[in-house]
Amino acid sequence: MGHDTVIRVEGLWKRYGLPVPAVVRSAAAFLRGNRESRDGDGQWALQDLNLEVRRGETVGIIGRNGAGKSTLLKVLAGVSAPTRGRVEVLGRVFPMIELNAGLHKELTGRENIRLLGAIMGFSRREIESKIPEIQDFCELGDWFDEPVRTYSSGMLARLGFGVAVNVESDIILIDETFAVGDLKFQNKSLARVKEMRESGATVLLVSHSLDTLQFVAARGILLERGRAVAGGSSRETINAYETLVFRSEQERLQHKVRNRISSQEVKIHHARIYGDGGETLTEITAGDSFGVEVDLSIGRELERPLFSLGIVNAAGILCMWNISEEDGFSRPETGSRCKVRAWYESNHLATGAYEVHFAVRDASSFETLERIAGAASFAVIGAPRSRGVLAEPCRWDVVTIGPEA
Amino acid sequence: MSKAAYINLSPSGTPFSRFVNLLWALVVRDLTGKYRRSALGLWWAFIQPLVLMLVFSMLRGFVNIPSDGLPYILFTYAALVPWTFFANSLSSCGPSIIDNAEVIKKIALPREVFPLAGIASALFDLGMSSMVLAGMMVWYKVAVGWSLVWLPVLVALAAAVAFSIGMLLAGLGTFRKDFIFAVPFLVQTWLFVTPVIYPISSVPDRWYSLYLLNPMVGVIEGFRTVLLKATAPPMEPLLASVAVTTVLLAVSWPAFRRLSAYFADVL
Repeated sequence: MGHDTVIRVEGLWKRYGLPVPAVVRSAAAFLRGNRESRDGDGQWALQDLNLEVRRGETVGIIGRNGAGKSTLLKVLAGVSAPTRGRVEVLGRVFPMIELNAGLHKELTGRENIRLLGAIMGFSRREIESKIPEIQDFCELGDWFDEPVRTYSSGMLARLGFGVAVNVESDIILIDETFAVGDLKFQNKSLARVKEMRESGATVLLVSHSLDTLQFVAARGILLERGRAVAGGSSRETINAYETLVFRSEQERLQHKVRNRISSQEVKIHHARIYGDGGETLTEITAGDSFGVEVDLSIGRELERPLFSLGIVNAAGILCMWNISEEDGFSRPETGSRCKVRAWYESNHLATGAYEVHFAVRDASSFETLERIAGAASFAVIGAPRSRGVLAEPCRWDVVTIGPEA
Repeated sequence: MSKAAYINLSPSGTPFSRFVNLLWALVVRDLTGKYRRSALGLWWAFIQPLVLMLVFSMLRGFVNIPSDGLPYILFTYAALVPWTFFANSLSSCGPSIIDNAEVIKKIALPREVFPLAGIASALFDLGMSSMVLAGMMVWYKVAVGWSLVWLPVLVALAAAVAFSIGMLLAGLGTFRKDFIFAVPFLVQTWLFVTPVIYPISSVPDRWYSLYLLNPMVGVIEGFRTVLLKATAPPMEPLLASVAVTTVLLAVSWPAFRRLSAYFADVL
């Protein structure tokens, strides 16, 4: 190991369950009457993972549910054995996880802290010297010397977390623990993590809060189905993660016509998103122009056809709503098969997955001839992470008025 | 397939002191948790062997069980004290891994500490019931001597038997619960193949060598001899017990170690 490397993972594969030799497994299957053997045949939770973390780094592990984030932390903590590969860890590892379940109901808060301290591998002297600090951190007051069975769930969580954040360690593994307690407690916990990092500890962090990750972690690793699919700065990784999420949302929305009101006179055959060269797109880079094309048959003469187009994001918010007549397009249509095209020259949509709603009306009678929700779908991906509905940079400035009063 | 390895090079680790510290904390937890909210509290440690003894004395009123010329009540109680220790140890070892699942799933620990903590808690109860036994020995004016130095050896042997069997059951029970369900049944059956309520002299000769394969025979017989006859324990059963226990440990400990790497996966 290099002198600065504290975690080195080489070709790590992990599958849950006891690795039963094939002979034993087939024998067991035979004894059970050839029923399907479930042991040892599970999915790979981690596949061919390589990772190197240097002292003092803060690494965020990002991925969708079941991507293998918690498994990786478990293997690094030495709780779960690797199935293949090599994991080297230098220094005391501390998995900062809520340990409410490890608490004993009949013991008081103080007694439980002694127990948790011992479980986490601290000497009695170390624990005793930390107790005042932990007591202060937990904000339990007189409850501290009461049996924990009388505690509320929030108090229990604070107790377990209070121990976790007040101990010193070389490597800290954090798995989704910031949801404990109220906002004030969460901020206090984040501040403690920052202190630990500044004192030279290495932090590995799993969180679904991308904001937390972006600000706490400098580096990121993106896991997808047990593989590390992206890495780099935490911003880059978060971006890759969002692209992954938006793509899968787009796939989910694809051809999912949710709602359709139809008369036989107008029939929509197909809708697609296209780019500059007329090519069909499912992904648009943030800021790029794009168009929507709807292929339809109009079965009767329309004096004032009215096309309307809505762009709805994954949360169901209508982001844009354009009506052909209002945009200055108005042309009578006789019965024909045609392609209606709408071109968005400037695109301010935030990154995310979107679907297209389309309707055809007759403006003279205001009859709805065809309305279709989810005619097409697309994802907007790209570098700047956007949090709102629209993405638009703004120019910032601070104007100093004078010295502080 | 490359060999899997997890290596932690921790410069500040003192594994042994950590282990002892953890063991102590778990014993304190178990005992406090067990007795804090019970009205009789520590008296339960006396009650269990006391009741068993009364039952067996009653039994003796119905069937004639020889007791090597000793008062039967003393004869059984001297054996029940170590037996209860063994039975309690085994019973708490069995589910010790499943009961501590939440801790095992989250923190890397030497997993042996959980069955060992069960045994250490039972040791405390042993201390309590030994006091009752001491009182009875004074009452019956039993002469004791230097042979008492054998007691720690015998207790350690009983603990080793309980540890080897209990560890194996705890480890296997993590994967298949059947092994844990079997524990009470195993303890009950074992009592009848151990000279607790009858003397070893009642065992037919042709079964004797097979009987000695039970490692608790040497322990219980040793206890009784050391306490009530003030002589060294009979060597044949004792050595047989040590040999069998060594084999048991040599099998079950590595097996437990191997299984323990996957506890967190299946709990």
